[in-house]
Amino acid sequence: MLRFGFAVLALSIIPVGDLAAEPISFLDDVLPVLSKAGCSGSSCHSKPAGQNGFKLSVFAYDPLADFKAIVDDRRGRRLSPGAPEQSLLLQKATLSVPHEGGKRFAVGSHAYETIAQWIEEGSLYRHPEDSPLAKVEISPPELEAKKGEHVAFSLMAHYENGRKRDVTALADFESNKEEIVEIDADGNAEVQKRYGEAIVVGRFLGQVVNARVTVAKDVASGALDALPRANFIDALSYERFEKLGVLPSEPCSDGEFLRRASIDLIGKLPSAEAARAFLDDPDPDKRRIWVEACLQDPRYADHWAVKWADLLRPNPDRAGVKSVYLLDQWLRQVFRENWSMDRFAREVLTAQGSTHRHGPTVVYRDRRTPEDLTSLMSQVFLGVRLECARCHHHPNEKWSQEDYYQMAAFFGQLKRKGTGVSPPISGGWEVFYHGEGGSVKHPVTQVVMKPRAPDGPELEDLGQRDPRGALAEWLIEPGNPFFARAMVNRVWGELFGRGIVHPVDDFRVTNPPTNPALLEALAQDFVRHGYDLKQLLRRITLSNLYQQSSEPKASNIQDTENFSRSYRRRLAAEVLADAVAEITQIPHVFEGLPRAARANQVWNFKIASDTLDAFGRPDSSSDCPCERNLSTSVVQALHLMNAESLQSKLAHQDGRVQALVESALTESEIIEELYLSVYSRLPSSEERDVALAFYQDADSDRKTATEDVLWALLNSAEFVFNH
Amino acid sequence: MGRRDFLQVGLHGLAGLGLADLMRLRAEAATAAGKGSANDTRCILVWLDGGPTHHETFDPKPDAPAEIRGELNPISTRVPGIRFAESVPKLASVADKFTVVRSICHKDPNHGGGNHYMMTGAPTPVPVNCGAFVTFHPSFGSVVSHNRGVKNGIPAYMTLPRQSRSGGPNFLGAEHAPFIVDGNPNSKSFRVRDVVLPKSISEGRARRRRELRSTLDRMKRFREEGSNDPSLAFDTYYDQGLELVTSETAQAAFDLHQEPDTTKERYGRNDFGQRLLLARRLTEVGVPFVTVYHGGWDHHVDIFNGLKTKLPPVDQGISALISDLDERGSLENTMVILLGEFGRTPKINKRGGRDHWPHAMSVLMAGAGIPGGQIVGATDKNGAYANENVYSPEDFAVSLYTKMGIDPHQIFHNTVGRPVPLVNGGQPISELFV
Repeated sequence: MLRFGFAVLALSIIPVGDLAAEPISFLDDVLPVLSKAGCSGSSCHSKPAGQNGFKLSVFAYDPLADFKAIVDDRRGRRLSPGAPEQSLLLQKATLSVPHEGGKRFAVGSHAYETIAQWIEEGSLYRHPEDSPLAKVEISPPELEAKKGEHVAFSLMAHYENGRKRDVTALADFESNKEEIVEIDADGNAEVQKRYGEAIVVGRFLGQVVNARVTVAKDVASGALDALPRANFIDALSYERFEKLGVLPSEPCSDGEFLRRASIDLIGKLPSAEAARAFLDDPDPDKRRIWVEACLQDPRYADHWAVKWADLLRPNPDRAGVKSVYLLDQWLRQVFRENWSMDRFAREVLTAQGSTHRHGPTVVYRDRRTPEDLTSLMSQVFLGVRLECARCHHHPNEKWSQEDYYQMAAFFGQLKRKGTGVSPPISGGWEVFYHGEGGSVKHPVTQVVMKPRAPDGPELEDLGQRDPRGALAEWLIEPGNPFFARAMVNRVWGELFGRGIVHPVDDFRVTNPPTNPALLEALAQDFVRHGYDLKQLLRRITLSNLYQQSSEPKASNIQDTENFSRSYRRRLAAEVLADAVAEITQIPHVFEGLPRAARANQVWNFKIASDTLDAFGRPDSSSDCPCERNLSTSVVQALHLMNAESLQSKLAHQDGRVQALVESALTESEIIEELYLSVYSRLPSSEERDVALAFYQDADSDRKTATEDVLWALLNSAEFVFNH
Repeated sequence: MGRRDFLQVGLHGLAGLGLADLMRLRAEAATAAGKGSANDTRCILVWLDGGPTHHETFDPKPDAPAEIRGELNPISTRVPGIRFAESVPKLASVADKFTVVRSICHKDPNHGGGNHYMMTGAPTPVPVNCGAFVTFHPSFGSVVSHNRGVKNGIPAYMTLPRQSRSGGPNFLGAEHAPFIVDGNPNSKSFRVRDVVLPKSISEGRARRRRELRSTLDRMKRFREEGSNDPSLAFDTYYDQGLELVTSETAQAAFDLHQEPDTTKERYGRNDFGQRLLLARRLTEVGVPFVTVYHGGWDHHVDIFNGLKTKLPPVDQGISALISDLDERGSLENTMVILLGEFGRTPKINKRGGRDHWPHAMSVLMAGAGIPGGQIVGATDKNGAYANENVYSPEDFAVSLYTKMGIDPHQIFHNTVGRPVPLVNGGQPISELFV
């Protein structure tokens, strides 16, 4: 945590405008002015090389260095104590001399006067008796507002000795949704025309705090009362809808449910036969029965293993093909045997042994330093992107470098022997084990760090224990504030196309959950059921919330984060490729995999597939744990339209089209089969007529017409999206 | 959140907005607007994978001892005072049309790291061995794709016939990965994949299919502001794709067979030569960045024999490409770059080869206002170290982006939200901007 000094003035609130009250200090007064003026912005003086010979630290994480950069610069022109107005610092910032960064403040402004007086007084770094900043508080913290309303937010700094100080004028304010709430740099907000909830963030010297502003639509109160609640997910969601004035969409159809649940649970479209049987089945319990069937399906394991492989799979060029394969197989085993997620996390966090024998050790072969492991593990298991704090105080969170390197210290005693990585083969193996010795130092202070989890307790002396074991114990303790929430949120994101915290691995004060009560209840339920992924999937898919239509109502069409309707999302690369293979009954050919292998079984991005590339499978040679990209692109459209591989599957003599053509089915029945296999529903009578007319076209025969109808369906949005 | 919203939020309104979202929004904003400047410069980057020798091409050292000089003699070029190795006579005869920079150098002697440095302008943050296939930073082509966006349905970054190791998009996302045109354009049956109809589908049938699709694609679209219906973007891209498939001009560009035999001969009747010809046609139809990958330049053994077959197609193809572009009046807005990951050792090794050498390399650059008949920088008497007007890969990257109208010092945010300068430092190579 950064420490900022100031003079002790017993518990008085000092408005920042009161310059005469005490001498100006760099830490207390000047640094916030420079931050607010944008001088230490990442594209200005805090770039790695600084700007024009003047370098400040990113987000002022190193105040002493910043002080020295200003006061001790070699030519001494930055400050002119005899004539403060001649100081380059002021002349540049006011554009009295040329300044690439433009004018930051005006002569005579509060910022200007603060700095001028500071220079005149002899540029004090800190007051002799200081107390660190404890926290900042925003007011109002929560607000239900109306269109057009004006709100003045204020920020109060609390120091450890009890002093309070109104720092509104020195703070930064931002709104995460300008279309709902606009806010200026001084905290004056104006509510806009859109409905929903915006988060207002206040920032002051490394501390961040948020306020929620809800702009509700007017919906008759009690409008949600009559809706059935299948479980707590519905109850908590409807509570939130009530507050936002949003009505949920209607329930989805059986066909929509069947297709959606199959894609989400096992990454596969239902067959035409399964779809027909489901639609015809009168059993009111059939949705639950289908969910159970999916959870028992062998493809379940592949589907969920791929999601975790996205996060953990190393570049095979770097870690070695055999190692990468072994990790892949291990992940498939985890989900095939439905290991509890706490066991999964523990096995990854404490893995030891050979990378040619024990899958999870491969994570350590790839992430070779305590720092790399800290970034990965915190993102994956805590849902926190600590990476920023590796080099400087996290700009949007409370995490400091100290937090980062304390976490890294858990991995400081990990030892390895064997053949290191030597791309592109990396054919050898390594053994990972715990051995005493080895430490992690804070890069600025050089202090050896003791292992400590973010917000975690101080640990007893671990003696000869592997610190990673202590980390795992802390993580999977039922009261852990991160793990269960991060896990349920990740799974929720997979099933709704968006997390309750979104992105799913970016929990922070400035990015709060849209429905905190729901997230909390899901996490508790998950813990209560022994971190059982299948149970969580049951809970979610059997809620009415999951089973809503994607068709919006007037009140919820602009809701894109509260799950009051099903959000459309593109099929993932592997799911789409497998759907094409299943529908056409012609499997893809994946080099090195058995015949008829599915795309969900491909374990190496180097196994060639134009389809998987076009639809954005993650590239594990890319070093940014790049998330899976579900956007659409022209390359995808062209691929569906023209790919030889798709056309050859349509026309193949062993394929679905040929089988239908040779069958005794009428044209109308063929059309039904195609609709069932691509959309999991029957055609409407109008659709049937259009397709039948196509068969009558003089230029078509039964074969080409069947190919072309299927081509048309595969090129439609209803195929490409999960809806 | 739409493009307009994003532009309002701007780069600093990041609170709460996930950074991955932000990247996507920026990509969408770029794609939707087809933004970028009025700059219409295209680039054909020819990558000689393995590290092409500079001694046997553009930087001969005839006065050096035999074990350095090698077997080849220098020849004079069309430009008085400039000499190349005798193995590139055709390039020598058009030396008035391009610049050779003899003084770009770096310190990474591995293929993986060298490729990364010269394909992205950024060194790898950790040592990367030979053979590694890695990316830590977006490649030039991906950045151009991000900047220019898709126009007329044509992917903005294409690569033939395969992606170079570090030629990917990194945090810019899969939609800025290169569109790979594999296959051998010197073969009669060659077709550019996906952008033309499948072989067995006639124009008439394709039209009927499209009509059928437009009546059967019935999923409701939600157009209200703020509803974020992703099927609208799908429609936009699909329409762009249709535009491409039905555009006679674009389709003609993909059809190499329309090129007269004399032109095909001029580029060389081999896969590399025909790829260069296809690259020219692609840039003419509006693809702003095309990479042509040519492997096999890692001459550790028997370099002089190796070059006998390796160099002539390059000598012929590149000289034909530059002359052809010049004659067609398109060299002004088409930049041609020929390079690899590094040069090769001054001293010939025991196996008659030269090894990896990043301390000197020659990079050919033409078009887009780059002067002809110019040599920039120099190496020492043995061709070992660049010693005049020495430039870094960052300088090269700044120059490339500047020519393409892209701010080389802009800040991107990677997936965890960390600000990343497009090029870290670097100055334009002033001799390219006279």
